[in-house]
Amino acid sequence: MEEELMQIKNSAVSMIIDASDQKELEEIKLQFLGRSGKLTLTLKEITKIPAEKRAIVGQLANEVKRVIEESIESKLSSLISYFSSQRKQNIDVTAPGIKPGIGHLHPMTQVLHDVIDIFKGIGFQVADGPEIETDYYNFTALNMPPNAPSRDTQATLYLDTKNSNAQPGQILLRTQTSNMQVRTMEKIKPPVRVIVPGKVYRVDDVDASHGFEFWQLEGFCIDKNVRLTDLFGTIDYVLKKVYGEKTKIKFATTNFGFVEPGVDTYMECTVCKGKGCNFCKQSGWSEIMPAGMVHPNVLKAAGYDSQKVSGFAFCIGLSRLVTLRYQMDDLRLLTNPDLRILEQF
Amino acid sequence: MIVPLSWLKEYVDITLTPKELGEKLTEVGLGCEKIIKTKDDVIFELEITPNRPDCLSIIGVAREIAAIENKKIKFPQLPNILKTQKPLPLIVKTDSKINPRFTGIIISGIKVGESPKWLKEKLEKMNQRPINNIVDITNYVMLELGNPIHAFDYDKIIGNIMTVSQTKGGEKFESVDGIAYRLPKDAVVISDKEKIIDLCGIKGGKNSGTYKETKTIFIRVPVEIPNLIRKSSQALGLRSDASSIFERGVNAGGTIDALKRTTDLVLELAGGKIASNPYDLKEINFKPWKLKLRKDRLNQILGINIPLKKTIDILESLNLSPVHLPGEQRRHLDDARKGGRIECTIPTYRNDLKIEEDLIEEVARIYGYNNFPKTMPKGVIPTVQVPYFKDYALDEKVKNILKASGFSEIYTYSLIGDKDLTENNIDPEKILRVDNPVSRDFEYLRPTLKINLLKAFIQNKSNFEKINLFELGKVYSGKSLDEAKEIYYLSGITNNKNFFEVKGLLEKIFEDLGIKENSTKYIEILNDGIFFEINYSELIKDFNPNKTFKPLPKYPPIVEDLSIITEGDVKTSDLISEIKNQSPLVVDVSLLDQFKNSKTFHIVYQDKNKNLTGEGVAEIREKILKSLQSKFHAELNN
Repeated sequence: MEEELMQIKNSAVSMIIDASDQKELEEIKLQFLGRSGKLTLTLKEITKIPAEKRAIVGQLANEVKRVIEESIESKLSSLISYFSSQRKQNIDVTAPGIKPGIGHLHPMTQVLHDVIDIFKGIGFQVADGPEIETDYYNFTALNMPPNAPSRDTQATLYLDTKNSNAQPGQILLRTQTSNMQVRTMEKIKPPVRVIVPGKVYRVDDVDASHGFEFWQLEGFCIDKNVRLTDLFGTIDYVLKKVYGEKTKIKFATTNFGFVEPGVDTYMECTVCKGKGCNFCKQSGWSEIMPAGMVHPNVLKAAGYDSQKVSGFAFCIGLSRLVTLRYQMDDLRLLTNPDLRILEQF
Repeated sequence: MIVPLSWLKEYVDITLTPKELGEKLTEVGLGCEKIIKTKDDVIFELEITPNRPDCLSIIGVAREIAAIENKKIKFPQLPNILKTQKPLPLIVKTDSKINPRFTGIIISGIKVGESPKWLKEKLEKMNQRPINNIVDITNYVMLELGNPIHAFDYDKIIGNIMTVSQTKGGEKFESVDGIAYRLPKDAVVISDKEKIIDLCGIKGGKNSGTYKETKTIFIRVPVEIPNLIRKSSQALGLRSDASSIFERGVNAGGTIDALKRTTDLVLELAGGKIASNPYDLKEINFKPWKLKLRKDRLNQILGINIPLKKTIDILESLNLSPVHLPGEQRRHLDDARKGGRIECTIPTYRNDLKIEEDLIEEVARIYGYNNFPKTMPKGVIPTVQVPYFKDYALDEKVKNILKASGFSEIYTYSLIGDKDLTENNIDPEKILRVDNPVSRDFEYLRPTLKINLLKAFIQNKSNFEKINLFELGKVYSGKSLDEAKEIYYLSGITNNKNFFEVKGLLEKIFEDLGIKENSTKYIEILNDGIFFEINYSELIKDFNPNKTFKPLPKYPPIVEDLSIITEGDVKTSDLISEIKNQSPLVVDVSLLDQFKNSKTFHIVYQDKNKNLTGEGVAEIREKILKSLQSKFHAELNN
């Protein structure tokens, strides 16, 4: 019987090797392994051999079955790739592919949605606010009263008040998304965790890293016992999520009316990898995110008790974040609608 | 602020390398923008924040370095000012409301000439042009100590009188550098008996400056009102080193020291003798003030426990004379008092230290922001929807449909020019406008996205045959600010899709948002393409996120195509709704094909309760044909 099994194996394997298509393989399978196939029928005879040999024969029969199955499988896959390559020979596969006619989302949108997802993951909600703003919410409520020297750094575009009840100088185009701090806070009680992306406006000369219209993303977190280390941790987490865990970040002291202590965030310039280039003014670092602990006067303007709650706020230069992410060396690329730029994203 | 390392070293020992020092200065708040190595020196370019006018001086920067290096500062030796028995006459009339402090002295018998080499070199390193020994000394002491100083030629002060007052507006004034100005209203000036001789805090007058022939000078070291200086300086478009210091707040307690230093140098370099008792007109004493820091509050805000000794050391290194008052240990007191208080005495040059949080920053920045651990906020995550909520996920959904349809997204400026408006037949008079635009091209707030999309379209034509672009952004409506509204619009332009493709695209967007809306009205057929513009803010008010699953039909549908010939102008939508209206069993009708006046409709009949029979469908078909014939004279096309 063992001999018989070996013969079955040999003839099956040689037939499989000679098979020229899938159909033939199916037939071979049926012929040997099917209900009335050769192997099946032979195995039915197993009761006729002495009991002590059955184990050995049974083992051999299983082995034969396995070999036949595996041979069929491997032949099948080689047949499939053989036919595919045969068909490929009928066409010129080196001709370019035909891409689906899909458009492109602007890099700003792609980064913005990533950043929103990151902040959502740590409990922040997204708000949107006015660009046409009062002096109060843009400056005064943020501890930047009229004539505060801190206003000097934010040269402002004022709106024409003709035919309106507004006084000249009262209504402006917001210079910072921070205008949403007091606006939001005065409507809700802590805990607050909000981000506000949006456009801001400044009187500025246009160059590779400046413009009169650009994007920021404001964020603030107010609660009992929010700490400076929480600000450092949050910024570090977000930037590493956006740029990768090896991102180099450093913090420095700075002054903005609406924070105390004030923090500035620098990230190693991605354009030159810290070597110094025009984009980072040869410093190797890019200033990306002013931040700090919310000033008690701002909490007061929002109707909060600064002895009971504290918080941090930050303002990401979103336009800069986008250019740094893709190593674009000029902010103006973001507002250039040239499809040769857009199609890269 | 330009700071030469050699000059700093006169006041503080520096062990850090220039690179390390630059990094540390940035960390503590004096942003180091450049380090320039010259043949004999290292020059730091620092960006001084508006709250730190004290750092617009070498001594101010040296003080910061002393805190960084934990060293003591060596303040220049100051003489006691000698009084004189025979003072020259000079009457000073001032008003502390417009000139809080007026410090000065007369020195006679001086010899105006060239400054010594060391002084000229120092000024040149600071990008200042040496003029003569007197002017150079005043500049030098300002750069050194941070108090602006002006020297008048005493003999040119007619009537021996100096009166500080505010201008009415329109007065003529010629500055020491020979430029003529018309002064704005409320500028603070000094006049003698006849004329204005000084524009306080900004520029001295040509008529009373120090020149070769000057023999007697009056040195004035003032404290000015920041807002008044700021306003005049802005109105005139005239800034000086002095005005930038006064605008931000000068060291009001430092005028006497600056006067002593100046006097000392004048006597040394220009000779002469003191010819008046010192003037120091003021209504209040500019004394240091107390500020307390609760140790527990410090820990709470910073999130780390900086040891008490370290805290005291830092405050000490900043010259804030900290005194620790231990906390009360009684049990019932709240935590805030257990760590005790540190009482600081704030020197007059630190106008920026006004509240406890300011002291917290002082400790944190010298401790080093980059030495802090990083934590995440511990509190509860807010679940109540935030005011001004915006659903960016919805925007993403819409944008992805447009992207999948071949449209690419652009971001364009909200500010546009009057030419953009008039070329598109929009009256600029009715559009929101910026008073001080950066240029004529960016003067108006866009009332539509069309203008920028058309420009983008034309711009791309030179490189692309097929163009599909869209923007989702704000437009600004309202003829005046009282009516101003910011509205999100969704607009697109294409020369690669026909009307029906754009219509279908919008229908797909509406469908996905669960909105029932006719898309035709948003589409405009251009000469060379299709444009659409939707009031997106308005549209998404009807957004319906709820989708309800409908079970699959148990019984198979019967499907057939009917070709109809119509007469005259018959709308396809009318035909479709007429067919649908004939029976609830007609579950779907679509236009399969059309040629001339023949239209083929694909009709799906289905009964969710039973199998439809051929007879049942024939009955409905009859009804359909009958009604189409009677209403539209439409016939079956055989």
